[in-house]
Amino acid sequence: MPIIKQVDSEINDTEKRLNARDFPGLLEQLESNDPSARRWAARDLATHSEAAKALVQRLKREDDKSVGEAILTTLTKLADPVAVACLVECLRSEDVALRNEVIEAMKNLPNEVAPIMGSLLTDTDPDVRIFAVNILESLRHPQVETWLMEVIKNDTHVNVCATALDLLGEVGTLASLDALQNLKLKFSDQPYIIFAADLAIKRISEA
Amino acid sequence: MADISISEQDFLIFREYFYRKTGIHFETNKRYFVDKRLVERIKETGATSFQNYFRMVRFEASGTEFQSLVNIMTVNESYFFREEYQFKCLVNSMLSEITKNKTDKAPIRIWSVPSSSGEEAYSIVIYLLEHWPDIDKWDIEIISSDIDTDILNRARQGIYSPRSVQHLPPELLKKYFKPSGAGYQICDDLRQAVEFTRVNLMDVDDVRAYRGFDVIFCRNLLIYFDDVSRRQAAETFFDALKPNGFVCLGHSESMSRISSLFKVRKFPEGIVYQKPEVNK
Repeated sequence: MPIIKQVDSEINDTEKRLNARDFPGLLEQLESNDPSARRWAARDLATHSEAAKALVQRLKREDDKSVGEAILTTLTKLADPVAVACLVECLRSEDVALRNEVIEAMKNLPNEVAPIMGSLLTDTDPDVRIFAVNILESLRHPQVETWLMEVIKNDTHVNVCATALDLLGEVGTLASLDALQNLKLKFSDQPYIIFAADLAIKRISEA
Repeated sequence: MADISISEQDFLIFREYFYRKTGIHFETNKRYFVDKRLVERIKETGATSFQNYFRMVRFEASGTEFQSLVNIMTVNESYFFREEYQFKCLVNSMLSEITKNKTDKAPIRIWSVPSSSGEEAYSIVIYLLEHWPDIDKWDIEIISSDIDTDILNRARQGIYSPRSVQHLPPELLKKYFKPSGAGYQICDDLRQAVEFTRVNLMDVDDVRAYRGFDVIFCRNLLIYFDDVSRRQAAETFFDALKPNGFVCLGHSESMSRISSLFKVRKFPEGIVYQKPEVNK
């Protein structure tokens, strides 16, 4: 039979450790010219809580997608305040793909992102505020509706409010109705806001 | 507790959300199936309405209830020749591409994970022996892994119920199995052909040695993982594959929703995912 069997020991023997896997060794590997070595360093750094800064520094200039993904996954697993701050920093990047990856990563960190959500939603940059609402879309946290109500109540940027409004249409409860009515008054010259707010109000009232 | 009912609107909202999170789409004719299970979970969790329950599912930090919902909405049953179109894709499309680009005579390596009780790995062997015209020109290694050592022992024994083998053509059942109690045992040659190993896909040290595969079958597993674990599994597969190697997921799973590491390949038999040569 041409199906041949490889014994388990051979599977394990294929792994040869050429470089030190301690913290200094992994940082060195993170700067290797070989993307595969960088990717493995990024994955192995998940057990080193002090690795976040070095990972983000690498992420900002990383041109290999697979290494970038490994770094983001490791930052998500580290999930300490430094890692989260580093992710927030990447939200301000001009690199759209990186921003989207970071938004996805932050959706997986409800407890870590919650303490900084207030400041993200009041950031001076409306794009960052929109990204923060994007994070709320899948953030498993009981305060999501409250955050969204605050956005449509306080934010003056129509695109930020429209993004929050779309999400409230999905997750809002009767508690959101007043805020939705007020939003219609605040943007009475914006047909989309009126339409989407009416839809959300109808959906919530009929639920 | 008052009767819980799922309105048309509730169904549509749930369907849209569940699709977004899992890639599983329920046709309208599945409404009864979905409603019944939703009501079951609503009652089980003590929620008072669909609205309350849906909010809990979305915003519960642990994601435990969402996972319970996934488990109850999916049917986890392994049997021979399950999702046969991917085996057809293997012998008709993937392997011809792999052999065309191969520059050595090293064995073609296939990893089936999770092994469960071995149906998938043995199905691959049978399919190759029966349907791949080049089977005598190449050596093939098939490794099948699972985290559960009890199920691995069952896989090595290779004893199956009539239900497990019901999709096998009778001539193949006769050719590769022998009666065993109320069921069948797969023949010794096939049992010897597959290497079953214990591996935890989430343990970097466990998976580090798994390299150099041409094809990985990982079907109907990632659906049970959370988002971070799915990404981690995708990275493991990426590192385990040779450049241009293929990953086959279950019909309701999509790598594109998990990671952008892989290229989508559309073959006549179905969609699979391919590790690119360069990752720019």
